[in-house]
Order: sequence, then C-alpha cells, then structure tokens
Amino acid sequence: MILLYIGAALMIIGALCDLLAGIGMLRFKNFYLRLHAATVGTVGGAVVPLIGVALAALDMPSLPGRFAIAGASFITALIILLVAPAGSTALAYAAHRSGVEGNFHFDHLRGEEK
Amino acid sequence: MKRLIFGIILILIPFIVTYLNPISAPSSIHSLGEFYLKDSLTSVRSPEVVTSILWDYRGLDTIFETAVFFLAIMGGLAIFRELKLKYPSWEEFPLPVKVVTKVTAVLIVTVAASLALHGQLTPGGGFQGGSTLAVAPLLVIGAVSLASLRKIGITLERAVLVRILGLTGIVILALIPLTFGGYAVQNQPYFPSEFLGTLLGGSLLWYNIFEFLAVGAGFTAVFLILAVAGGGRND
Repeated sequence: MILLYIGAALMIIGALCDLLAGIGMLRFKNFYLRLHAATVGTVGGAVVPLIGVALAALDMPSLPGRFAIAGASFITALIILLVAPAGSTALAYAAHRSGVEGNFHFDHLRGEEK
Repeated sequence: MKRLIFGIILILIPFIVTYLNPISAPSSIHSLGEFYLKDSLTSVRSPEVVTSILWDYRGLDTIFETAVFFLAIMGGLAIFRELKLKYPSWEEFPLPVKVVTKVTAVLIVTVAASLALHGQLTPGGGFQGGSTLAVAPLLVIGAVSLASLRKIGITLERAVLVRILGLTGIVILALIPLTFGGYAVQNQPYFPSEFLGTLLGGSLLWYNIFEFLAVGAGFTAVFLILAVAGGGRND
C-alpha cells in the first residue's frame, strides 16, 4: 500500500512540475531561460510521474499485466532521462551558434566576459 | 479577456459534444467485420486482425501499394541522379549529444525490429517497423554527420540495394504458393503457422520482414538524398 501512495505523490509532483514549466514557458524572458522551463517539464513532468506510475502499478495486485506496465514505465522514464538533457544541450548549442541573444554573465562557449 | 473566453469555450466543447451525442457501443457489428474477427485466428493463424487483412485477405492490394511506394521513391531518386553524395563531415554537436544520439539510434533499431517481427501478434508490422527504423539514420545525420553514417556502412547504394532485395522478396513470397498449385499471395496452408508454440501467422511474418527492410531502406535513401540536396549544413 505504501508504494501506491509514493507513486501517487510522485504523479502529483509531476503535475505540479508540468504546471510550473508551462508558466515558465509563458513568462520567462528569453530562449535560454525558457529552455530551463522545458527541461523542468520533461524531467520533472514526465520522468517523475512515470516512475510514480510504475510504483503504483506494482502495488495493484488486481491490475492485469502490472509488471509489463511497471517495466514499460521504468524504461520510458530512463530513456527520457537520457534523452532530455541531450536534447536541451543540442537546442542551446544550436541557438548559441545561430546567435540567439541571452543576457549571460559569462559565455563559456565563446570563453569571454560580457 | 478574449483568450480567457476562447479557452473556456475550448474546454466546454468536448463536454457539450459528449452530452449531445453520447457515445455508445454499436448494437451490431458489420457482418464482414465479424467474419474477419472470428476467422483470422483459425484461417490465417494470426491473432492480429489488421495484419491478417493487410497481408492475407487483401494481400494483393498491399503488394500493389508497396510497388507504388517503391516507384515513388525510385522516381525521387531518379530526379536527383546527377547528385554526387559526398558524405561530408560537418561541425558536430558537443560530445554528450553525440553519445546519447548513438545510444538512442541503437534503441530505435531494436524497437523497429520488434515492431516488425511481432507484427503478426501485436499492433505493428513491416511498414511501421520500417518507418521507425529510418528514424535512426535521420537522427544520426542531424546530430552527428553523414560521414559517420558511411563509417558504419550505411550508404545510398546499399540502401537502394536492400530496398530492391526487400521488394524482390515480397514478389517471390507472393509467387511461392503458385508453384505448389495454390493462388498468388495465398497464405495457409503453404507457410508454417507455428514455431515453438508461437504463432507465426504463416506468410505474414515473412512479408513483414521484407516490407520492414524495403521501407526502412527506402526512407533511409530518401533521407540521405535530402540531407545533401538541401545543402547539408553550411559551417
């Protein structure tokens, strides 16, 4: 029973992360800050609730195919956890390359103080 | 304010539509549909009715469709026949992006193969598996480079060759029952229906494999051409 509650809590945390990410997407000023919100949405809003789903499914003996659901959720969470940072790195790199302005204190890619 | 009203309307529409037209299960199934649902497991030896219809009940249709798709891609390649593929290596993304892309590409190939090889048991099949397979080289082209694709042996000539092999395989499979006195594209009883307790769906498995190769290689060839025809990345 405890796993079910932990899973439900994780799902609620995920929903909150998605909400915060959505607000951040709307309200942040420039591309790089919005990228931060997007990553909160993918890691906090997809990986965390997926792990919650897996835990909750494991704790429901009457659910048919619960091990398949739990396994698929865990693996999906793992893949998103792997891919999301790479995707945002690629986006940030490409944006920097094509000259999207952000108000950096220090630009590591160019290696100079701004 | 306008946005808020628009948002409220957008949220309310599904509820209103569901209230006005409540969805209920149809009282009867069309007799042809009932035939497919009941007959698929016993006569095609596959529980996946969609694949049974595609490759058995209306198999000739699907072969024709595959041929049309083949001709479309061949036409596209013919337009670009003057283009010399040079497999350039361009400025690459940072290391984590490249590593994750390669890992993901392997995962995509695995999922594609499982979609195609399980096509007679679970939703999926040759075309779906092949389309999924072609995403892997596309991802590598975008995130790493064309040069790295050639390094692992994926070239335009090989893609076209695999595509032709796939279509030839499908045609040969369609003709096999004729040599035993059956009809073209006939499935049972000319193909093995079971192996180690797993249903193979007779010819469905083999059609799926060849379609998987043909579609995957075809899309890969198109992506290779487009990556160069679009000018590549100018660095």
